[in-house]
Amino acid sequence: MLLKIENLTKNFGGLVAVHEVSLSIEEGEIVGLIGPNGAGKTTLMNLISGYYKCNAGKIEFDGVDITGAKPHKICHLGLGRTFQIPRPFQDLTALANVGVGVLCGKHRPHMSYGDGLLDASHCLEFVGLFGKRNTLARDLTLYELRALELARALATTPKLIMIDEVMAGLNPGEASRAINLVRRMIEEYHITIFWIEHVMKVIMEATERVIVLHYGEKIASGPPREIVHDPKIIEAYLGEKIA
Amino acid sequence: MRIEHKRARLVFHIRDLKLEWAIEPRYWRNPLLAVAGLALLPLVIMSKPDYLTLLTTANIYAAVAIPLAWQMAGIGRMNFGPQFFVGIGGFAAALLSIHLGWNPWQTLGIVILLGLAFGLILSPLTTIAKGLYFSLITLILPLIFLEFTYVYTDIFKGETGLSGIVPLVNLGRIRTNYLVSCYFSLGMTLLSLYIVDKVLRSRIGLYAAAINDDEEVAETCGLNINGWKILCFTITSMMIAVTGWFAAHYYGTFAGITYLQLPFMVKILLIVMIGGRGELYGSIVGAYFVAFLEQALTILGPVNYIVFPFVLLVMLSTLREGLYGLYRRHKYREYYPTMRVRKR
Repeated sequence: MLLKIENLTKNFGGLVAVHEVSLSIEEGEIVGLIGPNGAGKTTLMNLISGYYKCNAGKIEFDGVDITGAKPHKICHLGLGRTFQIPRPFQDLTALANVGVGVLCGKHRPHMSYGDGLLDASHCLEFVGLFGKRNTLARDLTLYELRALELARALATTPKLIMIDEVMAGLNPGEASRAINLVRRMIEEYHITIFWIEHVMKVIMEATERVIVLHYGEKIASGPPREIVHDPKIIEAYLGEKIA
Repeated sequence: MRIEHKRARLVFHIRDLKLEWAIEPRYWRNPLLAVAGLALLPLVIMSKPDYLTLLTTANIYAAVAIPLAWQMAGIGRMNFGPQFFVGIGGFAAALLSIHLGWNPWQTLGIVILLGLAFGLILSPLTTIAKGLYFSLITLILPLIFLEFTYVYTDIFKGETGLSGIVPLVNLGRIRTNYLVSCYFSLGMTLLSLYIVDKVLRSRIGLYAAAINDDEEVAETCGLNINGWKILCFTITSMMIAVTGWFAAHYYGTFAGITYLQLPFMVKILLIVMIGGRGELYGSIVGAYFVAFLEQALTILGPVNYIVFPFVLLVMLSTLREGLYGLYRRHKYREYYPTMRVRKR
């Protein structure tokens, strides 16, 4: 078991954003996380990555209890993430952005600063941004920023990457390139993926198992084909009348 | 430890660490030319001691601005009170020199230790206070210190300050003393520049840039931001304290009213911003420019007090990347530092 969450709860004042959510992810799995807007998907991701502290519950990653651990320690254990709205280091070039991931991520012995940047250029080549390595992040397009986020997460040598709505704002052509990119990442680096997505087509095609959140609670989990026909899920997305 | 020469670099292997040191001379050309220019300047104007003092003052400004530029990038916050550490260094050197008769080299050790200690004590501020709050706290610190010097007048001598500090250089002839002190200040500034430049060109510079840009994302990438911010604040505070030590032993007097008040801080911040907005070499350009402009405008008489800030304000608003940016504008850069007071 790579990631195991037990009864995770997070309150923001009186609002319960995540309520007693339990889930587990095996090594090599591609798991989707869906839910309507405000269901608590990103909050769950922020809790796992150490961005928020939970009110109750337990998170285990690769056999280590990471509940309440600092984000950098969680990253060193091999848990990477991307952001829903890309958050590159605006004033740095694409190469330096990924360089931060290489040099700050999992400790790699005998890696100098120059070696780190060389490794970063390999990551940029993998996501198709080698030609833009010397471009400042603030001058990149949305697709390039998404690719940069993936490259930066990949550079930290993760075992599991949490991808937060990589398709948001992309046109169909860019979206299919992004899906191919994630697929290549899984094939070549054998990384486990925990994928938050609104685009159901992507979830149906790419994932093996889907977890559904609604009002901060886990309401279903299973193969995507079964999930989309579940009346509870249809009700959560489209309302009681249509269901 | 193993050292090897590889592709114009010295590579050091220490346990599982690998460090590289570029030794290719073409990277040295422009810095060497600039250093030669700065070194020749005191010889050209050595007949006028007041100009030598002006150069020394510019070097003191630069020696504060250089570590400050690293600090503000490395902690991602605007420090409005670097003169607090100038005060720590200056008063420590002055008190030890006057009461115990210590020479400058003896007081230097204590100033370094005090700079590190106060830097470490105040460093948690970089993790607790964010954006404007950090700037406000650092703004108040030197003013509290100034009040402290007034309250304990018997120790710090209030407005008159401490005098009778053992001079840094005493070779008998006044003109020679001025010249040697000027070179001493230049050496201190260049040493500070060399250290900070080497640090910022290493992975530590990349960490500082990441923290300055978005510390939450930097932490998600695996960077221990609190550790690096504390380290950066402590070391740069010590470097600024050493400038206070130099000022105390150079002028022979040290008063809180000269260094701990707002005008000194404003001047340093203007040097950082007009020089090059976080560009290290810009700090020297800015320091020399501000010091010389201040001196040149004195011929205008009292109007100078209006013209001097006006000129600086115009430059601040028109030169987006400072004076050094005029030279660097068309050159490739990996990092465009942004200095601003953040909202969060």
